[in-house]
Amino acid sequence: MKLSDYLTSDRVVVLRGTSKTDALRELAEIVSRGNGLDAAKVERAIWERERLMSTGIGNGLAIPHVRLAGLSAPRIAVGVAPAGIADYDSLDGQPVCILVLILAPQGQHDTHIRLLARVADVLKHPQQARTIVAAQDPQLIYQILVGESA
Amino acid sequence: MSLPLALFDMSHVPTLMIVGFALFAGTVGARVFQRLRIPQVVGYIAIGLLLGRSGLGLLGEETIARLLPFSFFALGVIGFMIGGELHREVFRRFGRQFFTILLAEGISAFLLVGALVTVLAYLWTGNLASALALGLVLGAISSATAPAATVDVLWEYKTRGILTTTVFAIVALDDGLALVLYSISSTIAMQLLGAESDLLSALGGAGYELGGAIVVGSAGGWLLYALMKWARARDKVLVFILGTLALVLGAALMLELDLILAAMVLGATISNLAPRRTNEAFQIVEQFAPPIYVLFFVFVGARLSIGNMSGWMWAIAFAYVGGRTGGKFLGSYLGARWAHAGETVRKYLGLCLFSQAGVAIGLAILAAERFGAAGSELSQTMAGVILTVVTATTFLVQVIGPPCVKFAVQKAGEVGLNITEEDLARSYTVESVMDATPPAFLERTTLAEILRTIADSDAMAYPVTDAEDHLVGVITIRDLKTSFTAEHLTHWLLAHDLMQPATDTITPDVPLPEALLRLREKGLEFLIVVSKDEHPRLRGLLELHGAERLLSREVVRRRQLADAQVA
Repeated sequence: MKLSDYLTSDRVVVLRGTSKTDALRELAEIVSRGNGLDAAKVERAIWERERLMSTGIGNGLAIPHVRLAGLSAPRIAVGVAPAGIADYDSLDGQPVCILVLILAPQGQHDTHIRLLARVADVLKHPQQARTIVAAQDPQLIYQILVGESA
Repeated sequence: MSLPLALFDMSHVPTLMIVGFALFAGTVGARVFQRLRIPQVVGYIAIGLLLGRSGLGLLGEETIARLLPFSFFALGVIGFMIGGELHREVFRRFGRQFFTILLAEGISAFLLVGALVTVLAYLWTGNLASALALGLVLGAISSATAPAATVDVLWEYKTRGILTTTVFAIVALDDGLALVLYSISSTIAMQLLGAESDLLSALGGAGYELGGAIVVGSAGGWLLYALMKWARARDKVLVFILGTLALVLGAALMLELDLILAAMVLGATISNLAPRRTNEAFQIVEQFAPPIYVLFFVFVGARLSIGNMSGWMWAIAFAYVGGRTGGKFLGSYLGARWAHAGETVRKYLGLCLFSQAGVAIGLAILAAERFGAAGSELSQTMAGVILTVVTATTFLVQVIGPPCVKFAVQKAGEVGLNITEEDLARSYTVESVMDATPPAFLERTTLAEILRTIADSDAMAYPVTDAEDHLVGVITIRDLKTSFTAEHLTHWLLAHDLMQPATDTITPDVPLPEALLRLREKGLEFLIVVSKDEHPRLRGLLELHGAERLLSREVVRRRQLADAQVA
């Protein structure tokens, strides 16, 4: 499974906001862009999941994810917050620096889980995460991510 | 005697229309009686009575005569099914017991009815010889028990056990005893009335009727056995069974043999020759048989004539019913005691032997013909008394007989022990068999916890609920398989992430057969049981294999319970 099938360079950004709310809103807007998706609806779905348990899985990484009815194919958006998002409430209590938002169609349960596993696998090494955060440039970040997952 | 309400001349109505009408009316009657907790057979007979000679006269003598072959065939099917219950092994083990009980109950009824009728007839006529003649003939006729109405109750209530087994055996053998007693009694009676009669030829006649029926039935059984070896398809088996049955019945009619005995022997032969193979054959006939039973009993009711009886005749009729009931009850009790039969047989068998129909009426017609032909005025009167009393009492015992059978099998604890899984399913709703506390997860349950739970569970599906117990989704084992590729996510992947929408739900009140049909037709493994609320709450889980296992276990348990009584 290649991330490049679901991630395009224009959906990789350095986040402007430093709060969880701002970061998730920005990612929801980016992932919805040019796709006819309702960003507000995406954001609501993200928060519905966040209320159950934070998707900040530790080591500065968060993988917010939702399954949406009406979506034709999975989509990924990546946001990097070099200063860290302190209020993300991640599992290890540390600020989140990399957010990977995964949207999967309602019926594609397998793809959804495989993508989650793949993203977690690509970013599981702290050194890799540090390289991405240090890159600061969306294009470079995209190259690192796509190159690692190729 | 028909009432002046016979507005329609049914002789021009096509037979098929009469059959259709009788089927509908009989079924409606049965439903009404079932609601009153009275066996359905009484409903069929009551409808027949209403439509027949004693009621509206819609089913007149001519119509009934037109449908006589049908009644013979129905009787044949009933005999065949009873024969299927007569297993060699059972007779080997209980044969002596059965014969002891049979002789005791038959002869007791014969003696008691004979004595009571003789006394009453003597008081009425002042002629001891004719009173004794009447007592002997009615006594002999009273020993017969009608198998059809009796076993219909056993089938309706799906009974199984030692009482049921004994009833099947006794009603099957009863005709033979009645024929022998009648042959002896009618010969003596004719001599008492001054007519010439030869006991030896009368006994010979009975022997011919019984022996011939056994030969014809056995031959039919061997023929069917050979055909069934060759034919395997279900439809062919049914055709061969019905074809052989019709041949056997036709031969019995042509040779003037005991019709129902021939059919019973056919059933017993085939079921003992190839027990496993024929089990299915009997199931096929069983599914095909209900409309035949309905019509048969409706016509039984239609034929009964209970009008135009004098006070003396009523007195004799009541003496007959009283003596027969007491004789059957006392005789079967004593017989069962002498034969060391179990308590349920001793206490309740008598209640199962009250029914009287075809054989009794047949013998009464035969006696009426013989007495009528004897010429004297007294014998003419006796002929009328015999026919009227037997017909009237048949009505009485057909009404009280089936409820007594029901009472007996209920008391013996044998009701519902001979059921199939389909029968059992019909008595259940989803709630009866669902898992009311299935392993379920809250949306926030982590994959790690989920995996721990499923390790101790064999469920195929796990409902997912929110904190208020509302159903929000379901996780299947297949969904979890995918998660094995994400084992490092176990602490933050939640039930919410793994679940699918729960589209296949059902409410607890739905009848189980409906739920099973839905599962099988849609190829589903489970249905989630939810409340009827606008936001349904989880009530349980209905798994197809779980429900099938439960039904199967319960059927086996009930059969073992019944078989333990027999053992």
